[in-house]
Amino acid sequence: MSYIDIQNINFAYHPKRPILQNLSLSIDKGQWIAILGHNGSGKSTLAKAIIGLLEPDFGTIDIDGMTLSPTTVYEIRKKIGIVFQNPDNQFVGVTVRDDIAFGMENLGVPQAEMLEKIDFYAEKVGMKAFLDKEPAELSGGQKQRVAIAGILAMQMDAIIFDEATSMLDPTARRELMDYIRELHNEGLTIIMITHDIEEALWAQRLVIIKDGTVFRQGTREELLKEPVTFIEAGLELPVGLQISNALKQMNALSLELEEHLWESSLKK
Amino acid sequence: MGIQFKEVSFQYPGWGKQFFEALKDISLTINDKDEFIALVGETGSGKSTLAQHMNALIFPTSGTVEINGVPITAKRNKKIKYNSIRQQIGLVFQFPEYQLFEETVEKDIMFGPKNFRVPEEEAREMAKKALNMVGLSDKYLTRNPFNLSGGEKKRVSIAGILAMNPKILILDEPTSGLDPAGKKLLMNLFKSIQKETGKTIIIITHDMDLVYEYTNRVLVLNEGMLEFDGTPDYLFHRHDIDKWHLDYPATISVLRSINDKFHYNLDIYQKTIDAAVSTIAKAVQS
Repeated sequence: MSYIDIQNINFAYHPKRPILQNLSLSIDKGQWIAILGHNGSGKSTLAKAIIGLLEPDFGTIDIDGMTLSPTTVYEIRKKIGIVFQNPDNQFVGVTVRDDIAFGMENLGVPQAEMLEKIDFYAEKVGMKAFLDKEPAELSGGQKQRVAIAGILAMQMDAIIFDEATSMLDPTARRELMDYIRELHNEGLTIIMITHDIEEALWAQRLVIIKDGTVFRQGTREELLKEPVTFIEAGLELPVGLQISNALKQMNALSLELEEHLWESSLKK
Repeated sequence: MGIQFKEVSFQYPGWGKQFFEALKDISLTINDKDEFIALVGETGSGKSTLAQHMNALIFPTSGTVEINGVPITAKRNKKIKYNSIRQQIGLVFQFPEYQLFEETVEKDIMFGPKNFRVPEEEAREMAKKALNMVGLSDKYLTRNPFNLSGGEKKRVSIAGILAMNPKILILDEPTSGLDPAGKKLLMNLFKSIQKETGKTIIIITHDMDLVYEYTNRVLVLNEGMLEFDGTPDYLFHRHDIDKWHLDYPATISVLRSINDKFHYNLDIYQKTIDAAVSTIAKAVQS
């Protein structure tokens, strides 16, 4: 059985404008998956549904063998954490220390254990020197790392990154992606919600969402073979692959050049 | 006219007795027409602080910012109408769509002009014109801004600033959070507004592809210092821009990697993917 099993979920704020339509998706434990779609495709709504921030009109979501419902939602939120796009929207503590503690306090973790964990996870995300800092003294990337430490401290199985890098500058973005790879290597399930293909290509499996449902899914190599899929879904391929595809159509692409363009575009 | 920075420094009060120097001895001139400028640099380099000086939202600690002939210094002058400066230089914050608040698009766009005491009817006309400038039709006037898509909200909030008819328009990371199609739409919109009205447009961005394709001047800030002021072409011909934490545009990186790998001699300075493709195709076919 998959770790996350989504069966035919539907959601609409307004009956005439469905946001999620008969969406089904399975995610295995330990997988790194990217959920890709253009603005308004429904991908962020899907993320909110998975952690029970909104309830599908119908359809079911099973997580770790438990069906998501108002009675299980708090159990499920102990398993899956979410990092949002705007780091300012989720910093709740007065200091970094408070912020990491917040989730554990809600879980009723004993004080001594909590202090130990704060130190351990702050160190892990490279924020130990900042424990007494206030949010105003931190950069966006640092705030995101504090959010991750809070999630890790609660010993969760999976983290959803909802466009978590889109407000970061290129350096901070690369640092966060490298860090996510480390978390994945340690066995965490990673779900990245993004419209940035460069970022999605870090994942093992891509799921393209269009009009509120799964449009295509597969490994990145499988999907990249049909560039038209991305165009139809309102997405853009990496520049190197766009160049490769255009040259191919003009019969001006040697095998070596094709190989080079693919290799350099996929290298992460 | 336009904006002149003369040896401008700015310090934020820090913690305890420390000060954080956000801008260091900046001198530069911005014309109030026909410029399309990118303001770049890593987070914390001073970009937003510099932009906020341009419409007197904050005042220099030392030096002078002259905005359309009005000198702004550390000392506030009761004779200066700072509000009138803020009408001449429009500043659009990052994620302006979070600042929409009226119940119709029309009311939201009219808010700015009315705030600057434009009569109701005139403000209504300005709102309509501004809405059309951002590529939305009159039928949006009666819509509730909260029911619009993210991209539409962004355009309505930009219209709110355009309605004040500023000479210079400054946008703080206008494309962040938008998908590729939304980005292109917005950048083409700025380009056409710039061409049609001659207004100077300044964008703060991390996206070097957009800088290269759309703008004609780049200001690079690093640790509060203005390190570069020139054309994007000149900037990306340099080999040391990583010291300012900047990337090269993707077209340049891809073409450069082809030259390195296959010992070609392609002209790597191509601003668009189409141009890069035809450069390679020509070389391959000859």
